[in-house]
Amino acid sequence: MTSPPPAIAARNLILTLGNGDSAVEILRGIDLAVPQGQTLALLGPSGSGKSSLMAVLSGLERATSGELEVAGADFAAMDEDALAQARRGRIGIVLQAFHLLPTMTALENVMTPLELAGIAEARARAAEELVAVGLGHRLDHYPAQLSGGEQQRVAIARALAARPALVFADEPTGNLDHATGEAIIDLLFARRADAGSTLVIITHDPALAARCQRVVTLADGRIASDNTA
Amino acid sequence: MTATSLPWSTAWTIARRDLSARFKGLRLLLVCLFLGVGAIAAIGTLTGAIERELAGRGRAILGGDVEIAVWQRAASAEETAAYSALGTVSGGTRMQAMATAGELAAPVELKAVDANWPLVGRLRLADGREVGAPQPGTAWIAQGAADRLGLSPGSPVSVGGQPLTVAGIIAEEPDRLSEGFSLGPVVIVAAGFPQQAGLTVPGAMYRSKYRIALDPGKSPGAAVKQLEQRFPSAGLTFRTRDKASPGAERFVSRMGEFLVLVGLAALVIAGIGIGGGVSSYLEARRGSIATLKVLGATSGDIARIYLLQLLAAALAGSLAGLIAGVAITPLLGEALGTLLPVAPGFVLDWGALARATAYGLLVALVFAATPLVAAQAFPAMALMRARVTPLAGVWKRALLPVGLGLAAIIALALVTAAQVMVTLTFLGGAAAMLALLGLLGWAIRRGAARLPRPGAPLLRAALANLHRPGAQTGALVTALGFGLSAFVLLAAIQTSLEGNIERRVPNQAPDYFVLDVPRDRAEAFRVEVTRIAPKAQISLVPALRGAILAYGPPERMIRVADLKAIPDDAWPLRGERGLTYAETLPEGSSLTEGKWWAKDYAGPPLVSVDAELGQALGLKLGDTLTIGLLGVERTATIASFRQIDWDTMGFNYVLVFSPNTLADAPHNLAATIDLTPRPSAGEPAAAEATSPPPAPASGRGELLRALVRSFPSSSVIEVGGILRDGRALLSQMGAAILAAASVAVLAGLAVLLGAVAAARASRTYDNVILRVLGASRRQLLLLQLAEYGVLALLLALVALGLGSGLAWLVIVQLFEFDWLPHWPTVLTVLGAGLALVLGFALAGSLPLLRAKPAQALREL
Repeated sequence: MTSPPPAIAARNLILTLGNGDSAVEILRGIDLAVPQGQTLALLGPSGSGKSSLMAVLSGLERATSGELEVAGADFAAMDEDALAQARRGRIGIVLQAFHLLPTMTALENVMTPLELAGIAEARARAAEELVAVGLGHRLDHYPAQLSGGEQQRVAIARALAARPALVFADEPTGNLDHATGEAIIDLLFARRADAGSTLVIITHDPALAARCQRVVTLADGRIASDNTA
Repeated sequence: MTATSLPWSTAWTIARRDLSARFKGLRLLLVCLFLGVGAIAAIGTLTGAIERELAGRGRAILGGDVEIAVWQRAASAEETAAYSALGTVSGGTRMQAMATAGELAAPVELKAVDANWPLVGRLRLADGREVGAPQPGTAWIAQGAADRLGLSPGSPVSVGGQPLTVAGIIAEEPDRLSEGFSLGPVVIVAAGFPQQAGLTVPGAMYRSKYRIALDPGKSPGAAVKQLEQRFPSAGLTFRTRDKASPGAERFVSRMGEFLVLVGLAALVIAGIGIGGGVSSYLEARRGSIATLKVLGATSGDIARIYLLQLLAAALAGSLAGLIAGVAITPLLGEALGTLLPVAPGFVLDWGALARATAYGLLVALVFAATPLVAAQAFPAMALMRARVTPLAGVWKRALLPVGLGLAAIIALALVTAAQVMVTLTFLGGAAAMLALLGLLGWAIRRGAARLPRPGAPLLRAALANLHRPGAQTGALVTALGFGLSAFVLLAAIQTSLEGNIERRVPNQAPDYFVLDVPRDRAEAFRVEVTRIAPKAQISLVPALRGAILAYGPPERMIRVADLKAIPDDAWPLRGERGLTYAETLPEGSSLTEGKWWAKDYAGPPLVSVDAELGQALGLKLGDTLTIGLLGVERTATIASFRQIDWDTMGFNYVLVFSPNTLADAPHNLAATIDLTPRPSAGEPAAAEATSPPPAPASGRGELLRALVRSFPSSSVIEVGGILRDGRALLSQMGAAILAAASVAVLAGLAVLLGAVAAARASRTYDNVILRVLGASRRQLLLLQLAEYGVLALLLALVALGLGSGLAWLVIVQLFEFDWLPHWPTVLTVLGAGLALVLGFALAGSLPLLRAKPAQALREL
């Protein structure tokens, strides 16, 4: 029996931003393979390229060069629209500043990616997901009516509602107090486990990183260490 | 290639969710489309209402299918036979006459009609009866005549010395609108009456009118053509049922054209607002768009979602505009009812409404396409980096929708325009103005970037704000340029119209015009007037009517009948004109070329021609002119050209002949009576103060009665009343022009305030940070004042040029009025516009400036 293909397979990824004299090399040859179902923490100081690596791996940004396969799709060969389509239903993203759609209710925020992916019964599934993150009583609230922790719960529900193969989280507790942050991380790991997703989490917090099966540390755009528990 | 996989229904679900029920953020788009579509819809509906009324009631308004009019004679037997061959004919006469009742006298418009009148509709009397022509010896009289002479049904009245009995007071005259401007209240009598009263003796000033109700299957146009060919020199003028009302013709030709231009102008200005509004809206949606992309939306999905939102707002704005446009038409009809035939009540002209909607949506597409294309290209990474480098080449992708939209607008304008060239010129002008303002915005940005940095920090910041990344300079320049130009346009038009009313309706005019004074009783007339008003100034001239039939060098004269189109400014070629002869150069005229004939000149016939007409027809001294006078052609050689001072409301004749040319033709005299002569130019001003006061009303009444007694066949026109009517007519026209132009100004105002609000919103962040860093409120206010002040002052100069240029086009080229703007008023209005811009810019920032820095930070 052959082993399943990796969730992420990156070879010699390079990302350069800007042109000419102002060009800055952000990622300088990243090689990374992440098996399906693994939890991985990306550690590193500010400016080490963590967020940029996550942006490239999740298809939000195209690498300048290198090879990249995510969930079996060749991301290096896709334009931005193709990447957007590739994310639908396969990749969930949780961001530090939540980034909920301010004009939509919590329920509508969670429904939107399901609808974009053409998943049937979006409303029922979104409601179910919100109940699962403990926001069954906040379905019709707008983001401005929710606390920071509640907003991040909606963001987690939104990222996981489609049962994606991959979940990326960029400093998911960065805007929250410690206790709320703890609760959010518990929730994120629990929901991920239910969905069986691969999780890539960016953090400065060694304690959070320690909860992951694997910790990759970046420095100056390169992988400085790669430790599997 | 753009990948699109989201079905429209799903895109609509997401769009609707994201769209505020109150269209928050899209209100500028809504207001602009409301104004633009409303204006076009109202104009289309009004024009439609007039056309429908003319089509439906044209026969009633004209009193038949075709009208033939001729001066100073009845139709010949041959003409009558030709008319009768076409259908049922009703004939009659129109003239000015004097009516008396006891000691009271009043000038009236006498309308004699035969038993067939009215061919269409019925005359309605005040007592509710619907009647036709009056019986011989009786008259239907207008309410004005009844009031003036104290008459009621059954009262005796005398017209031209001939007794009549009032049989009823007119409530509604079916063909009133086609009769045109009247010089007195109407008195309708039976056809034979003028002859019995001696009012139609040869030379008397009257007009015969014949209306024909065509036999089935005959077209009015063909009938007119047939009669024109058969009687080319008879001096006949024709009118058909589709052009029944002279006021409606003027409206459709000039006012209609102007209003369509105003509508298009409102839409172009609205377009700028739409562009600005959509840009601001989508800029504010940057975060949402990026988030949707993170969630898997493609650029095609984004385009669909936001296109649907914009379409919903555009449809809502257009629908409101359509409702307002339809709702306002009855009010316009009410206001213009005395001038124009407008179908009463609400009119739903689906064609006009569809046109207005199409214009609105196409303009929205053209101006919203670029920001929409830019929005669909917002990268998902915008969420993770504060500012992403502006996307290059967005305009290239917008070329297709913008080009298609523009092509559709031009096609629509060309297909629906009555005056294709005017519309095309306007669209070209608007495009040039947009390009000019775009260029100016670019130049200001470049200039501000290259200027050396001033030492004063506020000035430095103000200058930097004009060119920094994300600066709203371009949008502000376009909006301020159009908005302030609209202010100048309105002020220049209004003051020019006022100036024209002042100039065209003279303050110094004779008190009375008297028509049909028998030529052998000229001296008796002078004696009679001087007996009652010893200081009166009396001027008597021979009055004839004739049409110019041919002109040009003697060997190759041009026949007017052969002209395909009357040359510009050659209006005297249309129909019959007043003609006169004189021994000496008439007062108010000055020779520009040639010589005046000797007093006792007896050689070949000569004529002196208005210099403007001479120029329009390319006439030279020695050329000849042939006129048709009472069916006889007379040819005279041009001996001189004259400049006529039209501002003096006296006898101003385009053609003045040597006496031996016309004196043998039967004719009467016309007179002006000036009861309070003013000092001539040479006299000292003090003489004015000692000049006699105006004759008292009782003196005027006595003069009228004496004239009626001694000159029963003459008719008197009171100039005061005509001046009042003329002033009222011009004022009404002026009000209509102003009301229409105000729509463009409203659109300009909305755009202007919208642009300022958008620019201010983009400055909020800076202001809060500057306050946190220690800038005082005064400093921040000064910073904004400096920035807007520089832009507003620069654009005020541009607006002064553009606005007055456009106003000049409207006043001089379109309406052929004189260019008489009152510059102090125009500048004051422009100043008010500037103050409004600055006031609005500063007032909106006040809450933010009043708040404590910490509070402002929280609200960011």
